[in-house]
Amino acid sequence: MRFRDLWSDFDWTLFTAILILSAIGIVEIYSATKNSQLEQSAAFRQLMWICIGIVLLFIVAALDYHMISEQIPLLYLAGIGALLYTMAFGKVVAGSQSWIVIGPFRFQPSEVVKVLVIVAVARYLSELRNVRYLNVEQMIKAGVICGIPVALVAMQPDLGTTITFLPILGVGLLIRGIKPMTLVVMLICFVLALPAAWPFLGQHQKDRITNFVNPQQDLKGSGYQVNQSKIAIGSGGALGKGVFKGSQNQGEFLPTRHTDFILAVIGEEMGFIGVALTLGLLGFILFRIINTARTARDELGLFMVMGVFGVYCFHTVENVGMVIGFMALTGIPLPFVSYGGSSIIAVFMAMGMVISVRRRRYVN
Amino acid sequence: MQFRDDIELLRSRISILGYGVAIVLGVLVFGFWQLQVVQSSHYSDLADKNRIKKIRLVAQRGKIYDRNHKILADNRPSFNIIYIREDSKHTVEETIAALANGLGMSADELRQTINRKLKDPKYQPITLKEDAGTGDVAYVMAHTYELPEVSVEFQPRRLYREGHLAAHALGYIGEVSEAQLRENPDLKPRDMVGFTGLELVYDSALRGIDGSRRVVVNNSGREIETLPDEIAPIPGHDIYTTIDIDLQKAAEEMLGDRVGGVVVLDPRTGEVLALVSKPSFDPNHFAAGISSFEFKSLLDNPDKPLVNRAIQSVQPPGSIFKIIEAAAGLETDTVTTLDHEFCRGSETFYGRSFGCWKPAGHGTVDMYDSIVNSCDIYFYNLGKKLGIDKISQFSTMTGLGRKTGIDLPGEEKGLIPSQSWSQRVKRVKWALIETINVSIGQGQIGVTPIQAAWAIGGLASGGRLKQPRLVQPEQLRKIGFESPDVKFEQYPVKEETVEIVAKAMWGVVNDGGTATVARVEGFNVAGKTGTAQVVNKSSYKKGGDNEDHAWFVGFAPYRNPEIVVAVLVEHGGHGGEAAAPVAHAVLDTYYKKKTGHFNEGTAEKVARLMTREP
Repeated sequence: MRFRDLWSDFDWTLFTAILILSAIGIVEIYSATKNSQLEQSAAFRQLMWICIGIVLLFIVAALDYHMISEQIPLLYLAGIGALLYTMAFGKVVAGSQSWIVIGPFRFQPSEVVKVLVIVAVARYLSELRNVRYLNVEQMIKAGVICGIPVALVAMQPDLGTTITFLPILGVGLLIRGIKPMTLVVMLICFVLALPAAWPFLGQHQKDRITNFVNPQQDLKGSGYQVNQSKIAIGSGGALGKGVFKGSQNQGEFLPTRHTDFILAVIGEEMGFIGVALTLGLLGFILFRIINTARTARDELGLFMVMGVFGVYCFHTVENVGMVIGFMALTGIPLPFVSYGGSSIIAVFMAMGMVISVRRRRYVN
Repeated sequence: MQFRDDIELLRSRISILGYGVAIVLGVLVFGFWQLQVVQSSHYSDLADKNRIKKIRLVAQRGKIYDRNHKILADNRPSFNIIYIREDSKHTVEETIAALANGLGMSADELRQTINRKLKDPKYQPITLKEDAGTGDVAYVMAHTYELPEVSVEFQPRRLYREGHLAAHALGYIGEVSEAQLRENPDLKPRDMVGFTGLELVYDSALRGIDGSRRVVVNNSGREIETLPDEIAPIPGHDIYTTIDIDLQKAAEEMLGDRVGGVVVLDPRTGEVLALVSKPSFDPNHFAAGISSFEFKSLLDNPDKPLVNRAIQSVQPPGSIFKIIEAAAGLETDTVTTLDHEFCRGSETFYGRSFGCWKPAGHGTVDMYDSIVNSCDIYFYNLGKKLGIDKISQFSTMTGLGRKTGIDLPGEEKGLIPSQSWSQRVKRVKWALIETINVSIGQGQIGVTPIQAAWAIGGLASGGRLKQPRLVQPEQLRKIGFESPDVKFEQYPVKEETVEIVAKAMWGVVNDGGTATVARVEGFNVAGKTGTAQVVNKSSYKKGGDNEDHAWFVGFAPYRNPEIVVAVLVEHGGHGGEAAAPVAHAVLDTYYKKKTGHFNEGTAEKVARLMTREP
């Protein structure tokens, strides 16, 4: 590994897009928290996390992704260990025991474990040679690799984070290949399983689902967040009310506005222009990832990058859809933009992997 | 090459996934386009409704003063606890549960208050507690975050400085009713309006115009900015009445706990100097939102404290009617002052024996003697000679049996019978024997205290009837309200008739008559007592329901009077004993004020000196 190579092969375009998004995030996190007593230093902390994230991104990008893959059994076990530790000694926030506290910082191990699972699943799928369609045994094996950490996260219980693991498996299996008939059967089973799962959901989750189906039913209660978010975005108009001038934001009508609903703040204060810029950058990043996957030198790179794609595409679509009521309410952050150290660290590491794969891409 | 083929297959699958993502992102961007460009103004309105809260700035109600600019109805600062359902994240029951302890009200009370207004629009504040204490205010302020739907509102509140004093003249105010809202487009929900008395009659002058202020609030209801478009409230107009608080107090104190009414007029101008009805009530309780229990107890009280007896209690006038009848006799040339009757204590008319109040009889009496000693026999004969229609015609002319037109609601017109009245209302021919009863103010005849004061005062002033008013038209014109002139009637009455009647009434007070107690040294008080029998006399008991009504009407000086007082004490007994002292207190106070000897602190000073240790 030579530094000169890293420098010249580095995906500066992707990196620039990431920096612009992060900058938008910091500005609006500041705007969303400057009046609040609780999160006064959020923008500064976010800046700090992003700096750490950038360092990690460069480190991971400099590494050969094959090396990461070689170390994955150990890393995977370490990740499981971290989740078990969290389960035993973690801090409970908002009903989920998903945080560990190190000095002044809180950290969600599950976010970083997500990256490890991406690599683990990618390694398993890439080692299946000459397979057009997966057989059931192979699917179950892949499912177990993903399933163990998922189960541990689900037990925290952190439903939002749990479902962000699923695209790793989903995208991986789809690309590795599932027989069309099997896919249809799986979809039917999934649809049939939904009503069966209903009685096992908590009231909170039921509320979120019924509210998604009928958004107007309880605007003061479970529908409050999405309703206020739509008001914020809609009232922002095409050009926005101006940064620091959003009444929904500054008047604290928006819930969790510096984390899950940061896009609503952008929509209110920067208008459709700001939203289009944000979504444009996210879309660019996602297609850059797809492009990187298509040009990956080998299957390991391809699956690693597509795992990253799966996770963050899901994050993006779910979060963006949620703030305008197209998706049900979940606590899934918007990549690069939402406040949160763990998710920033995870997404920057993941991007480091993507850049690492791109540096060694196959070019016709 | 197997390896290459394999990865190509995977790459082609990636492309399909890419298209799918492009479509999903397109749908999301379209969603934002819909919200931010197509429906933007709708959401802007919603955002404004979120952040902008309109605060009512309650206008101060005009004050009510007495004739010497002493304050009768004032205002004081107070706070309401209000509940706006629109702002609520909670159900009504949740809010009730959270509030019940803090406001010291039961959940049931709160529920009832809210249920009464449930049909109002949701943005309309519901007053949960009027005139809230500092504890309530502090509780609500401390919980704005949890209960943004509940807030504190400033409201100047009516303060009747003298409590019960002149309550019936002043009236009371309360929250506007639905019927009032329908009738008067100037009224808004939650306005405080007059319900009776001057508060009702001059409501439009007294009531101010509420202002408003728009504030930007945050999610916890805390004001973070005031918008510059504040509309200041316009206070109502102050009103100066003709009441003299000293005369009012003198009358009320002397009447004490007895049931009755007192009216004091200046017959020259029609000004009402005092207007008393007992038992009274404290209008302050209405201003602070009277409890239904308290209101019910006022309604159920057998003494009916809400009735304004001064203008609503219709009672047989008893012997005070003899004055009118005497004048009628002279004016119709039915009698002269020299005519006399012989009183044996009783006499038979139309086959029935009628007694004089003095069973031993008065002997030979002329008109003067008959008025001074209130001889019934003389007036039976006079009445018989006059006949009911002449009595009726003259009485009506002097102001009895019709409304005086005082500027208060609910005045009764009383009853002066006539043959046509009997035919029309009772559908029987007038029985002549009834005329004998009516001659001494008994039977089918009824007057109110204000009519008694008006008619006697008018007669003593030479037939001049000035409409009684608590607020003079010029006072209203000063504050920009139109007001018709005081109505004025002059009926024909001979100067000598007035002279004779007034002289006789002077004799009642000053010449050993039935009301010497009403005498005021130097003031030439004239008057007449009346003791009206209560129809059912089966269980006569002093102070009981069947005891006579005591009347006294007096004026001073006896020629060209400047003050006339009518006193009715229901079931009070004899007019000279029960009613005349009240008139004396009023006339004495008036005369002392007039001659500069009145000191409003005197009574209290004396009381203090009496209790002090030597």
